[in-house]
Amino acid sequence: MTREGFIELVEQEQEALRGFLLYLCCGNKEEADDIAQDALVKAYLSSAGYQEKGRFRSWLFKIAHNTFLNHKASCRTTESIDEARTLISNNAADASFEHQDLYLALRTLPPKERSAITLFYLNGYNIKEIATITEASEDAVKKQLSRGRDQLKEKLKL
Amino acid sequence: MNKDKALEDLFLAQKPQFDDSEAFMDSLNKRLDAVEYIKKHQEATIRRYKMALVVAFVVGIISGIVTIVYMLSTPAAVPLFTFRMETGWLSWLAANSRLITATALSLLITFGLISIIGNIQDIRSMRGEVGFRIN
Repeated sequence: MTREGFIELVEQEQEALRGFLLYLCCGNKEEADDIAQDALVKAYLSSAGYQEKGRFRSWLFKIAHNTFLNHKASCRTTESIDEARTLISNNAADASFEHQDLYLALRTLPPKERSAITLFYLNGYNIKEIATITEASEDAVKKQLSRGRDQLKEKLKL
Repeated sequence: MNKDKALEDLFLAQKPQFDDSEAFMDSLNKRLDAVEYIKKHQEATIRRYKMALVVAFVVGIISGIVTIVYMLSTPAAVPLFTFRMETGWLSWLAANSRLITATALSLLITFGLISIIGNIQDIRSMRGEVGFRIN
């Protein structure tokens, strides 16, 4: 794939990708965009081996999901401090932020459940597709969705 | 598995919109420029390594052949090298010149092989760095 071709496809998909990562990062736009850029650079470097014709979005989401998990794993030690800081910022400076309740509820979910829930409800993927993107079994995805849904409904009082 | 309608509506109602797509793409292009630059630099380094590999191989083959031909072309009783001075050590060296030359040649070949294997490993690791794994 040429760079021009890659950029053309990314231009079509970047909003969906950034939206997905924004939910995974619970509304932290800076972090989400940073992970999106990293994921896109990885995708560009791997684009020579891209075989899944017509499934560019799923392929990008798979890379983004892995990049997000790697990012989470590498920041685990500072996560609680950052989390507290973001919570304060969300509560104080950005109180009118319309997605706040959903983001705060998503924050309580483990990253894999958050990912499955976002792919299912925001991006409209089915269980099989989510299993492919997250490299998990369909049963595992079903469990993640079920647990995640129950937790979200409880937190959001739906 | 069926979707929870309330949850789905909530997600869809709060679908994020971005008004900075152009800035995002500009930033991505800058990162890709940097990646291209590093890739070119690493490819040039790999080319240099490959050239060094070929040179080491050719020099090793030629010097090995020359030395072996020289050793075989001289009579076994005649030392490969002699010294004008006649001291104990130098006489011993001259007497064992074939053995010493063969040992030196073996060491040279071993060193050459280790260098070639090292270079190949360096090239492989560089290729690995250029093409990140997805996982």
